[in-house]
Amino acid sequence: MRKSIATLLFSFFMTSLVSAQLERKRANPDGPVAETFLTKNIAGLGTVQLLGKGDLNSMIQHNFGDVRGGIETFFGVDEGANVRIAFGYGLTDDLNIGIGRTSREDNIDFSIDYRILHQTKLDRIPVSVVLKGNTGIRTQKESFGLTFQERLNYLGSVMIARKFSDNFSFQVSLMVSHFNTVVKTKQDSELYNTVYGLGFAGRFKINERKSISFEYLPVIGDKITDTKNHAALVYELETGGHVFQMFFMSGRWFTEQHLLTRTETDFLEPNFRFGFNVNRVFGLL
Amino acid sequence: MKKIIFTTVLCLFISSLGHSQSFKTEEGKATFYSKVPLHSFEGNSENLVGFIDLDEKTVDFYIDLETLDTGNGKRDKDMKLTLETKKYPFAEFFGKLVSDFDPESSAIQDVTVRGTFKIHGVEKEIEVEGTLQMKDNGLHVTAGWILSLLDYKIEPPQILFIKVDKEQEIKIDALLKPVDG
Repeated sequence: MRKSIATLLFSFFMTSLVSAQLERKRANPDGPVAETFLTKNIAGLGTVQLLGKGDLNSMIQHNFGDVRGGIETFFGVDEGANVRIAFGYGLTDDLNIGIGRTSREDNIDFSIDYRILHQTKLDRIPVSVVLKGNTGIRTQKESFGLTFQERLNYLGSVMIARKFSDNFSFQVSLMVSHFNTVVKTKQDSELYNTVYGLGFAGRFKINERKSISFEYLPVIGDKITDTKNHAALVYELETGGHVFQMFFMSGRWFTEQHLLTRTETDFLEPNFRFGFNVNRVFGLL
Repeated sequence: MKKIIFTTVLCLFISSLGHSQSFKTEEGKATFYSKVPLHSFEGNSENLVGFIDLDEKTVDFYIDLETLDTGNGKRDKDMKLTLETKKYPFAEFFGKLVSDFDPESSAIQDVTVRGTFKIHGVEKEIEVEGTLQMKDNGLHVTAGWILSLLDYKIEPPQILFIKVDKEQEIKIDALLKPVDG
């Protein structure tokens, strides 16, 4: 009897002690998931990963000639690089704008990304959805015979992604590209101003700083003669200030409208090129 | 003997029911200030949770570190990485009021609390100076102290873009509402 009374007293004593300390609860357990992907791009394919408000991302993208040139071209490096220099800025956490310039055709492009859904940790919203628009214009001298309107190209994309776990994210993009002018290089070429495609992307996180990613952009429906589906395999390294992405990619471009319509090498042939992106984010606010 | 025990248990039970001198908030404000040449910034959260029991003289505060907002996405990400918020999501303080406080007065009164502050998985005994003021709608608390990152094994993120001071000034400001007994 005494033992049970002592136990009772002890329980009350402990309860009064414990009740003095609040139970620790997360403030927003179903908050938005962070870092579905490491950057705004895999190699060329855009991702649902947007810049935070006030963040400025500077990005330099390079790729070289295809590796089948062998040692004579130092596996494509001697063939010269295609370089895209781009800047993106987070107007808000859900609205980003950007500008880029690609050395091929001196294409200058303007982009806008708007997030309409952000996946939450407890799956109240199971996926993130971002709408993307990009408009490019050829500015090289050779294109001056064309009107301003004729030199424009466009991309519209709906990106749907889910972070399945801390270590794996997957994205599907529904894309449409449009070129106001397409040029025949062969007499029997089938050309299309508008081309539809999908974009698949995945990220496997190795640790907080490293991951392996891929992208694959199959064309759906009408396909321009002699073009192939673009693919890339990417190793990503975050050093804190920079994100480096080193990859093998089949496409020569870094804008999706061009990757869908200008890729002439097949990754699985195998025929691809080496390339790398360097991303640096600056906080402007 | 049984009567004494019964009375004791009854008293304990009744005392555990009554919390007339307890105050709580889940919307307190916490701010830290980082000052380095050419780059000063502050981080804010309005999710500070606090509980003060004037009978027991206990003071309990915690904050979900992921709610801290420095106004810049990249800096927030770096800060969370540095604090390892996935592993250690809270900064918390639990201690006792060691100075006198007159709850009948509505004046701002300087107080001292002593207890354990825990962040980044490291606990330290600290003493914090602050003020308490009894208002019509609750108990207003302010406090501030200097947190040395190295004391809590928080490595200043040298490789990151954002430079931070090794010592950060912390301030809290909260209005705690009476807890119904």
